[in-house]
Amino acid sequence: MASAAAERKVIRVLLVEDEEIHKVLARALLRSAVGGVELDEAGTGAEAVRRVRDGGASAGAYDLIITDGKMPVMDGHEATRRIRAMGVTTPIVGLSSDTFPSDVDAFIKAGADDFTPKPLSKEKLVRILAKFNLV
Amino acid sequence: MAAAALREQLNALLSSMFASGLVDDQFQQLQMLQEDGGTPGFVAEVVTLFCDDADRIISELAALLEQPIVDFDKVDAYVHQLKGSSASVGAQKVKFTCMQFRQLCQDKNRDGCIMALAVVRNEFYDLRNKFQTMLQLEQQIQAQQ
Repeated sequence: MASAAAERKVIRVLLVEDEEIHKVLARALLRSAVGGVELDEAGTGAEAVRRVRDGGASAGAYDLIITDGKMPVMDGHEATRRIRAMGVTTPIVGLSSDTFPSDVDAFIKAGADDFTPKPLSKEKLVRILAKFNLV
Repeated sequence: MAAAALREQLNALLSSMFASGLVDDQFQQLQMLQEDGGTPGFVAEVVTLFCDDADRIISELAALLEQPIVDFDKVDAYVHQLKGSSASVGAQKVKFTCMQFRQLCQDKNRDGCIMALAVVRNEFYDLRNKFQTMLQLEQQIQAQQ
């Protein structure tokens, strides 16, 4: 799936974040770090689950999911669990300003592949994209 | 005032903001994103979002800490939010004060939280004034070009 994304030269990213300031920053960073990006956004974990399911879970709607932790309605940990329960293997990266080991563990135990502390930066994004062979 | 003189004023202001620890590398990242991405209003957009968020959160915190019984979970949630947005804009002093504030929330220390709120408010007002001056100078420079 990662090599398909690289061939396509357009990366489909789902950003799960409820706060506008973090969305604005992530949008700018993604557009700066990646030549071609199709960015979808979800404001809650519930909306993220719906987008993944409606986008065709088995078809792999997204190449990368970046999700905040604390959000209204459904948090990022629960969304990650539910996405994994659908059989989706898309890389999921937790993004939070809570960085105690227990916060990181919560994401990993839910099924996330990686965690990066807020604020998102170009360096962190490039590392994530390289890790999952998306550039 | 000529654009060169305004530019000098702006550079001096930005230098002092970095030197005093008001802002950190993350703010520099925002400036670079603006330049590299060719998006002239990007820093202004992020700064404005931060200032609006911080204003709102500080009001909410003041109201929560006035209650006869303080809901420290709610206070902590707001401080967490402010810490996150201050980190994203590079508001270093505000971010560090929020970290101390969260510890006081976890200790359920009401008086400590009230003092921490006063410090956060002062740090934020100081930064907001500097951001407002920065944006005004940028607008004046743009107008001359």
